[in-house]
Amino acid sequence: MRGAAVVVGVGESAYYKRGGATESEFQLACTAIRRAVADAGLTMADVDGFTSYMDRNEPVRLSAALGVGDLNFTAQTFGGGGNGAAAAVTLADAAISAGYAETIVVFRALAQGQFHRYGQAGRPRRTRGAGAFTAPYGMLSAAQTCAMQTMRYMHEHGVTQDSLAEIVLTCFEHAQRNPRAIRYGTPLTREEYHASRWIAEPFHLYDCCPENDGAAAIVVTTAERARDCAKAPVSIVAGAHGLEHRGGVAAFSYPGFPTAYHRHVGEQLWARAGVGPQDVQVAQFYENFTGPVLMAIAEMGFCEPGELNDFVADGNIRWPNGRLPINTAGGNLGEGYIHGFGNVVEAVRQVRGESTCQVENVELSLSVSGPGYAPGSAVLFGRG
Amino acid sequence: MSVLPEDWALPAPTAITEAWFTSRTIAVQTCAECGSRQHPPEELCHRCGAMSFTYPALSPNGTLHSYTVAHYAVNRALAPHVPYAVVLVSLDDAPELRVIGNMPGVPIEDIRIGMPVVAIWEEHHADDASVVHLPQWQPR
Repeated sequence: MRGAAVVVGVGESAYYKRGGATESEFQLACTAIRRAVADAGLTMADVDGFTSYMDRNEPVRLSAALGVGDLNFTAQTFGGGGNGAAAAVTLADAAISAGYAETIVVFRALAQGQFHRYGQAGRPRRTRGAGAFTAPYGMLSAAQTCAMQTMRYMHEHGVTQDSLAEIVLTCFEHAQRNPRAIRYGTPLTREEYHASRWIAEPFHLYDCCPENDGAAAIVVTTAERARDCAKAPVSIVAGAHGLEHRGGVAAFSYPGFPTAYHRHVGEQLWARAGVGPQDVQVAQFYENFTGPVLMAIAEMGFCEPGELNDFVADGNIRWPNGRLPINTAGGNLGEGYIHGFGNVVEAVRQVRGESTCQVENVELSLSVSGPGYAPGSAVLFGRG
Repeated sequence: MSVLPEDWALPAPTAITEAWFTSRTIAVQTCAECGSRQHPPEELCHRCGAMSFTYPALSPNGTLHSYTVAHYAVNRALAPHVPYAVVLVSLDDAPELRVIGNMPGVPIEDIRIGMPVVAIWEEHHADDASVVHLPQWQPR
């Protein structure tokens, strides 16, 4: 489909362990946005829109603080959590392609040390709605939700605990080359993975994304405007954001259980792009937990569920020699959990040739967001 | 016998969930117009859009479809109760419908995907003196 919009800038704040940031979450957001705009060779006055997902740093406040000119477009996605990361890029693409704005910053800022922790839950008293069927049984967290999906998926398809470990070890290995990564300088062995405590079976501690403080942003503009920018543009080849009919029914009674919610996303993405998974050189898969990553790899069409153990084994998903290196900056597990937006930034960097685990000759670079929570999303970047 | 604290969260039954949480049966929401069944109960029938329902009792038998064992207490009140298992049961009368529960009194290591189970009900008295009957599961 290839719309009119291209990516011209990327930027991050420093990434910190939870509670480690000396700046406020709002300041982290502003730093990431300023760096992305500077990277693009633009000024704040050039920005006329913002998109995000689940973010509390409102564009009204951001634009005033950052010296943005007239604001023409703001939007966030509906739905659960980090699955909005790629979708927020498609919002910007759609708005720019339709002419509602010219230059949009897509961003996410998340400081779990300053607000609530995603891994903890308040004490519910009397629950209504879908929570009435989960909370009374102690089913309260994302880890438990994805564990329920993953346990069945492993049973149905023979996926092993070692394949979950492969996702973690790949991310930690790649993080060792990325000085921005929170896990830079602290590698992990397979033995340490298996010996780590359980959080919610089948997830050990290291299967679960950390709680971090940080912000990340990209700048999207028109191909015409990109000619004035500092670096070669990265095209948004296609994006997809959606769900099968009844795919998001509560409490695991959706027809496709267990799913990462990416079957429909994959079908839409490849149809729009006119290419397939075999054409992609590098991919970023959002890790909330390792199980949904494996499910998303299969649902995006890279292999059959029964082939996952082989697909991820023997360095097949590791840089530099794997057939599909994934999470090349370290991902949410190794680089930092900025609600998955680091995985969008890294997908852009791979097309630019700026990754610390740079894959050779990247034509197409994929970022898949938020498996295990509906609706899913994905975005495919390519050479401008 | 209860897996979680005695004063842990209870459902607040509403018009569409009252039968499930008070009848001591597997009262599955059934569309009064097209007969389609859905769980958890919803405001509209997902098949035909109707807003009126019946809640007939299905067999209390089911098959364990998936589970997780929570080791990390996501709330401080749960800390003395971990590890505990949460199970997902596929109903024998309607295998496409799945129900979440615990297996009170059953050792975690005995829990297996595919095991036949049967519903029991725990009686809970809420602060407002209302009574909730919470479905739970046992081996059969």
